[in-house]
Amino acid sequence: MSTFSSQGVLLVALALLAGCTAGSAPPPQDSGTITIVFKHGKFAGDPEAFTALLRDFERRTPGVVVKEEVLPASTDQQHQFYVVNLEGRSVAFDLLAVDVIWAQEFARAGWLAELDHLLQPAEREDQFPEMIRAATYAGRLYAIPWYMEAGLLYYRRDLLERYGLAPPRTWPELVAAVHAIQRGERDPGLQGFLWQGKQYEGLVCVAHELAWGGGADLLEGGADAAQAVSFMRRLVGEAVSPASVATADEETTRRLFGAGRAIFMRNWSYAWTLLQQDGSPVRDKVGLAPLPAFPGHESVSALGGWLLAVPKRAAHPREAQALIRYLTSPEVQRRLTLDLGYQPARRDLYRDAALMEAKPWLRDLLPVLSAARSRPVTPYYLTLSHILQPELSAALVAAKSPEEALASAKRQVGALLGSRPWERG
Amino acid sequence: MNGRDGHRGASRRGISERAWGALFAGPALFLVGLLALAPLLGAVWLSFHRRLPIFGISEFAGARNYWLLWGDERFWAACRTTLHFTGLSVAAELFLGLGLALLLDRVLNGRAAEARWVQAAVLIPWAVPTVVSAQMWSWLYHPDYGLLNYLLQATGLVSSPINWLDDPVRALHAAVLMDVWKTTPFAALLLLAGLKTIPRDLYLAARADGAGRWAVFRHLTLPLLLPVILIVLVFRTMDAVRIFDAVYVLTGGGPGNGTETLSIYAYKTLFQTLQFGYGSTLATAMFLVVLALTAGYLLLLRRHLREIAS
Repeated sequence: MSTFSSQGVLLVALALLAGCTAGSAPPPQDSGTITIVFKHGKFAGDPEAFTALLRDFERRTPGVVVKEEVLPASTDQQHQFYVVNLEGRSVAFDLLAVDVIWAQEFARAGWLAELDHLLQPAEREDQFPEMIRAATYAGRLYAIPWYMEAGLLYYRRDLLERYGLAPPRTWPELVAAVHAIQRGERDPGLQGFLWQGKQYEGLVCVAHELAWGGGADLLEGGADAAQAVSFMRRLVGEAVSPASVATADEETTRRLFGAGRAIFMRNWSYAWTLLQQDGSPVRDKVGLAPLPAFPGHESVSALGGWLLAVPKRAAHPREAQALIRYLTSPEVQRRLTLDLGYQPARRDLYRDAALMEAKPWLRDLLPVLSAARSRPVTPYYLTLSHILQPELSAALVAAKSPEEALASAKRQVGALLGSRPWERG
Repeated sequence: MNGRDGHRGASRRGISERAWGALFAGPALFLVGLLALAPLLGAVWLSFHRRLPIFGISEFAGARNYWLLWGDERFWAACRTTLHFTGLSVAAELFLGLGLALLLDRVLNGRAAEARWVQAAVLIPWAVPTVVSAQMWSWLYHPDYGLLNYLLQATGLVSSPINWLDDPVRALHAAVLMDVWKTTPFAALLLLAGLKTIPRDLYLAARADGAGRWAVFRHLTLPLLLPVILIVLVFRTMDAVRIFDAVYVLTGGGPGNGTETLSIYAYKTLFQTLQFGYGSTLATAMFLVVLALTAGYLLLLRRHLREIAS
């Protein structure tokens, strides 16, 4: 009968693994050579370019070899890997890439080493304050910002120009633009506004942005927040967005927009480079703008991005920290931007004339990144998100009213964590 | 059976053989215990704790988690979803699998070379890794460029594309359809093997007695196939109750938790929100559901075997 419950057993076995086993031993070493293992998610850009950077680091740091171990692109799977592997006596990797929403959790769990000494007060001036806030727990810095992401509005410049329209600044303007262009184009295959509505973290980001852009707070609830959620539903109801957004994630929307099948798209900054690469049907036809807001409010994007951290029980913390210094240095950040199309985590680089010449779109990005807001910075973030995900999804597909969904989310958060736990840190 | 009608020498050897048997089976039993039983007991142990590493909490909680479980709407919804999924998909797989098995048995009777090819072809959906087939189906279901909508529109059955996954009820049935596509071949092959064990003479005799096709199926094939049917039911039910990867890739449990099965809920609780104690409680509850269903089937199977024996 044991085979019949192998799923349960597997879950249990994994739970036990997380609970008590040590990770596998660090790789064997040649005499004098130290191998550091670097875990990170799959890159959207060219992995060769990144590997070249690591080889460069090895040349500059004799006796150190860097081994990359790439995790799946799905952030949920990466999170699971870290959770299962960080709670051991020894950890089989020395450096890891941490999503901004995990940093507090990992630091709270005691899995990360303090890295205060890596960023001197003067160096912190070059960083984005929201990234530093995400990486700071109980007054200590546990991770160093690596690269940035923020929610943006992508639009088809050619189509907007054809109808004499400017990029929309408010949501009603976006709805009007979609109607005008769809009426004029008479192309049933051309969708209006694409965004991420699948029951996952992406939906939570979109909903936060809509609420913030109306001066509301999702977890606070109330009429304004409910209005943001019902606007999400209206987009689909009024065919501004196709029904398929309710099941769409970043890549689904990026592909559809990238095939020239939509006028607008909300997506992270990573999509820009992919949309502009050789062979893309929308190359040079895409424009970029801050997300619209509701009339009378400021546009606010959700802040995304990745940090570098060292496990507390890493075998070679000193060498791992040297690699962090290298990867976050202005010079390498510039190469990451040029070769991989990543958005540097250093504010000073956005003032670098040569870099802005080569990647002019970063100039437009700076105000968005500077104004981008963190999702609640708390060790309990994933619990909050997993409460919000099904509720928002239910509201989106009209299984619940927006008011009901938000009230239910607030009730669950209260039952699990008490009131406004994200503010207690 | 065991030695009741055997003579003395045999029974004495039987005891020593049993001892030898136990000795040889010992390491295997130990391994099974270590690999299957120990983690299971570990989970049950954890399920009585409140354990959240990020809170730094690890304490004995008694039956508190089970009390929470009792009042947990999401758990009961996941139970309903899981049982709905299981009931529908297993019924459809058995029904279609039986049809397919009868067809294969009839068409391929005696033609060994073709039989091998057809059997291999039929098995393809089952051989495709679940995650891959789930991704494939998510493309088939896609409202804008999915093949399913294209076919429905091309044949004029629907006027505008249907989004199969944007409605909780529709999405759950889309998941059932995917599972049926994937595992019907497995049911069919087991049933086909069962059909092959029925002696052909019986059919000839029935024909000679003037039984019609339906009568042969109803009074000969079905009763003789029943043990295999029960085995298929047991296997498929256990698999369907534990369904995780297929649905997780297809919908992530959404929309609105409409497709959240017990495993998905347990997975999210354990590995996304790190509630190891309560997550283990969910896993244990799921194990109990599986155990209850298995026990029911085994009782059914045993009674049936006894009837056949008598």
